[in-house]
Amino acid sequence: MTDDRHNVVDMAGTRVDDDHLLSMYIDNELDAERTIALVERLRAEPALGARLSAMEGNDEAVRKLYAQVDQDVPEHLSSFLQADNVVVVSFARRWQTWASATAAASCAAVIALVMDLNQPADFNPMTMDAQLAGSLETSHSSATGWESLGDDRQFRSVLTFPAADGRWCREYLLAQEGSHWRGVACRDEGQWVNQVVGSEVFLEQETQYRPAGVDESEKVARFIDETATDVALGPQQEAALISSGW
Amino acid sequence: MAKLSARQRQDLIEELPRLKRFCLSLTSDPSDAEDLLQITVERLLEKGMPEDAHVAKWSHRVCRNLWIDEIRSRDVRSRYAQAEGAMEGVGTTSSNTDESVQLDRVSAAMERLPPDQRAALVQVAVEGCSYAEAAALLDVPIGTIMSRVARARKALAEDLEWSVEREA
Repeated sequence: MTDDRHNVVDMAGTRVDDDHLLSMYIDNELDAERTIALVERLRAEPALGARLSAMEGNDEAVRKLYAQVDQDVPEHLSSFLQADNVVVVSFARRWQTWASATAAASCAAVIALVMDLNQPADFNPMTMDAQLAGSLETSHSSATGWESLGDDRQFRSVLTFPAADGRWCREYLLAQEGSHWRGVACRDEGQWVNQVVGSEVFLEQETQYRPAGVDESEKVARFIDETATDVALGPQQEAALISSGW
Repeated sequence: MAKLSARQRQDLIEELPRLKRFCLSLTSDPSDAEDLLQITVERLLEKGMPEDAHVAKWSHRVCRNLWIDEIRSRDVRSRYAQAEGAMEGVGTTSSNTDESVQLDRVSAAMERLPPDQRAALVQVAVEGCSYAEAAALLDVPIGTIMSRVARARKALAEDLEWSVEREA
């Protein structure tokens, strides 16, 4: 049965109406024969012309809308793409697993970009010494700020979590002369012992991020995923634990 | 799969502004668009792409797939309820000029479009793609682009006509 409506045509097997024709006309995608026919109709049918004007006006408004939105790309993305030996630490699983405000604050404040973990260091800043152990024993976790270890190292505890084997563990950051490391230490019979470390470069941002998984540098995140038996402690719980001497 | 080559990285850097607009067309929310752009770049850095891949097409495809995964996993209703408030602020100024009111209406109407139609319309009307270019970028047939763009314009025309009549 044929369709008697003059405004429905077959085009590449698709039946299109006037709005389709006008849309294709706006985009210069209508063939010559149909363009001529449409132009004649536009002259003869004011309503059709008004519809075309409305569509073109809406297109212009959409372009203005997108032009007004901040199109600036965050600088750190270009930096990521320009740097060599870049791998991305996955915080996505931790964001889903760690629902505590402490973990949320740390994830929201920091974007971690791990640069070549295999580079040998002249000395190992993650060696457990009295200063580092002392800070692990008494410092409260935070999303910002650094605590001096009494030498040229800066320390920040990130979060505290219970390990499946009953130990308390802490993720922390260490900074020295522009270099940064991230590690996890667990308290074993009163002694803090480093479990895993990795070097990093930090770009502190206010926006949240969701990096994807990575091959090399996920050992810190993997250790936490495999070891933690529960979510990270909230500030009050952590403070109580520290006060009680763990 | 090979990590990104230097050429691919440079092509991707140049593609970032357009990719960000694509993120916005998919998410209809500036914050979500920034997050989506971030995870797209990180996924590309992590997984790389074939040496002969078209950087723009590949990155748009990764972006779209990540967004599909995201909306499947989140509570769409609550997020979109928040996004309505966010999107109404996009592209508007604090002054109550006729233009800002019109942009408010268009912004809200765009948000009500299905994401596929919105993305197709942005590629054609904002980015200036031909139907063939948009089809290649979005990995759909040309006829699908034609249809989505037309439906988007039709929906906008009817939505905005109705909103003007309601305010009159």
